[in-house]
Amino acid sequence: MAKLTENRFWRSLFRRPLPDSDLDRMLTMFSNFFLHILPAKVHRHSLKPGATWGLGVISFVLFLVLIVTGVLLMFFYVPSVERAYRDMKDLKYVVSYGVILRNMHRWAAHGMVAAVFLHMVRVFFTGSYKPPREFNWVLGILLWGITLLLSFTGYLLPWDQLAYWAITVGTSIASYPPWIGEKIRVLLLGGNIVGESALLRFYVLHVVFLPMVLMVLAAVHFWRVRKDGGIARPIALALHPVAGGGPTSAEATARFVPGPLKTYTLVELVRGTSPQVGIQAPEEEVPSWPHLTMRLLIVFELVLVVLTAVSFLFDAPLLEQANPVRPDNPAKAPWYFLGIQELVSYSALVGGVLVPAIALLGLMSIPYMDRDRSDQGIWFGSPAGKRAAWISFLLTVLVIPALLFLDSRFGVRQVAPGAPQFFTDLLNPASVLTTLMAVSSFLTWRATRSRRLGAMVLFTAFVSAYLVFTVIGTYFRGPNWVWVWPWQ
Amino acid sequence: MSESKKGGIFSRRGLLGIGWFSFIVSMVGPALANIRFLFPNVVYEPPSRVKLGKPEEYARGSATFVEDQRFYLFRDGEGFRAISAVCTHLRCTINSFGPADAEYGEPHAHCPCHGSVFAQKDGRVLKGPAPVALEIYEVGLAPDGRLVVDTARRVDAGFRFRV
Ligand code: HEM
Ligand code: FES
Repeated sequence: MAKLTENRFWRSLFRRPLPDSDLDRMLTMFSNFFLHILPAKVHRHSLKPGATWGLGVISFVLFLVLIVTGVLLMFFYVPSVERAYRDMKDLKYVVSYGVILRNMHRWAAHGMVAAVFLHMVRVFFTGSYKPPREFNWVLGILLWGITLLLSFTGYLLPWDQLAYWAITVGTSIASYPPWIGEKIRVLLLGGNIVGESALLRFYVLHVVFLPMVLMVLAAVHFWRVRKDGGIARPIALALHPVAGGGPTSAEATARFVPGPLKTYTLVELVRGTSPQVGIQAPEEEVPSWPHLTMRLLIVFELVLVVLTAVSFLFDAPLLEQANPVRPDNPAKAPWYFLGIQELVSYSALVGGVLVPAIALLGLMSIPYMDRDRSDQGIWFGSPAGKRAAWISFLLTVLVIPALLFLDSRFGVRQVAPGAPQFFTDLLNPASVLTTLMAVSSFLTWRATRSRRLGAMVLFTAFVSAYLVFTVIGTYFRGPNWVWVWPWQ
Repeated sequence: MSESKKGGIFSRRGLLGIGWFSFIVSMVGPALANIRFLFPNVVYEPPSRVKLGKPEEYARGSATFVEDQRFYLFRDGEGFRAISAVCTHLRCTINSFGPADAEYGEPHAHCPCHGSVFAQKDGRVLKGPAPVALEIYEVGLAPDGRLVVDTARRVDAGFRFRV
């Protein structure tokens, strides 16, 4: 061992020996390129599992897995209409570990979609988007969008029935916006029909363009988490130390080396919530090595173990080879788009374009409307917040079936069969629900004078609606997209 | 520094203006060119005109599905007509037309993707999210006596090609 580490090369590589004091540990964090993305010290609140549930980290680990497995898959995949599907079969039957790699890639993609969404839910309900983190929330929404686009462009590549009809339907949705719609469709397809040029375009988007955008956005996202002084924590924690979770106060002080560890020569520039400044007392912090690094390693390992196990047990879906003549019946999108599929089954313009655009803009604007920091870092903010979330959830779950029932009885097409499309676009479950959500959020704000409660109602309704529509699309829609019971 | 305003053809402000202007042009120009680049000038796609069999090959009351162009060719007492099988909602292929039933009082077809229902008679939307009726294409006769359908030429629902 000593032979390995006590030579010039090793020392040139790591510069520092394995740290054995807290000062050394912090200096190691500070001087290592990869560890430098983490702070030298971290607040004990941030280490509690319940503060983040590790969801941002899980998203990132899954992204790393996707890059590694994706690059490997590229060696056996040719994006051509003739070969793509055959390559999938080859991966399954003739390439060593091909099926495992493909499974890992697909399940990690599903996992990432879920983890990113849950991460957003966690950030919202802990009120972690408030100043100065408003723009990081906006970046987060963009990251969520890119994650969904990556999944979408990804499942088009095998050129099976799912792929072909998803491109057909997806690019047709893109053609709905007035004036530019048809141009967008041609741009995406590289022509007027779904074929070779479309497959190539989606391939390039999937393997180069979107991952690059995601990496840049994620880098800025992480950087801002650091610059905002780590993750949000309750303001009151500065005065009252945390109980339970993380290392104890005694442990922390025992290890903590008092005194300044770094001297900024740029003191005039370093303002606001730089890692050292802010609302925390120094004794509430512990060195990131090992407290944070160990936890990261454990999360990394857990994600890998679960993902590998799932990939050995379950094969990634692959339908029949693409048949440009007939879609499957029913032709269902993956679960995370089934809500949208349900929405476009009322109106493509409203459900596929307007509502998603309004939802994205609405989500992005949340931190600019609700700026009160007093309850940041606290799950649901207050008992009133928790109540608002529950009421919003229950109402959404009840209102959607009611709207769908009304639509099937008294929908525009039933009442006035000849009415122009404009009226179906104006009055359908998706448009009515969106209006109801906006109005009830506004009324909550006016009635309680609390923007946080208004935001709580809006966001909870959004998440609940996403869930309800996903469940409906998954279990209650059968062939020809008619109503069925889940057990039929 | 204010002396430099004198002499010279350009003022400091003017020179800066030209500089920024050229910078913006040099950025926006290529960006627009790159967008234009992505729109193909040639596409290798099947033609919109398709030649079918001779009229006598299609029995009265028959319905023929033409796979490549995705339309149905109907022959009834009055003549031939071609009705698109591409759903006007999001371009899935609709199922075959079936007879009138309890829910719809006329022959109709379902789309498997989001549940639109279309009438066989004129392609009208009976139910679902499809915004407009199915397209109806012109049917004609080629010099060699075979039927031709051009999916780029649309006609209205009353159209029949009589032979
Ligand atoms: C590719 C997707 C994403 C990745 C890899 C990612 C990663 C991370 C990580 C590692 C953190 C540190 C805390 C934690 O682990 O929870 C974080 C914090 C944060 N994320 Fe994300 N994130 C993603 C998407 C999102 C989304 C969709 C949102 C919300 C719209 C969001 C908003 C935020 C905010 C506001 C913080 C600061 C939270 C705090 O201070 O408590 N991120 N993100
Ligand atoms: S594509 Fe036919 S109903 Fe949507």
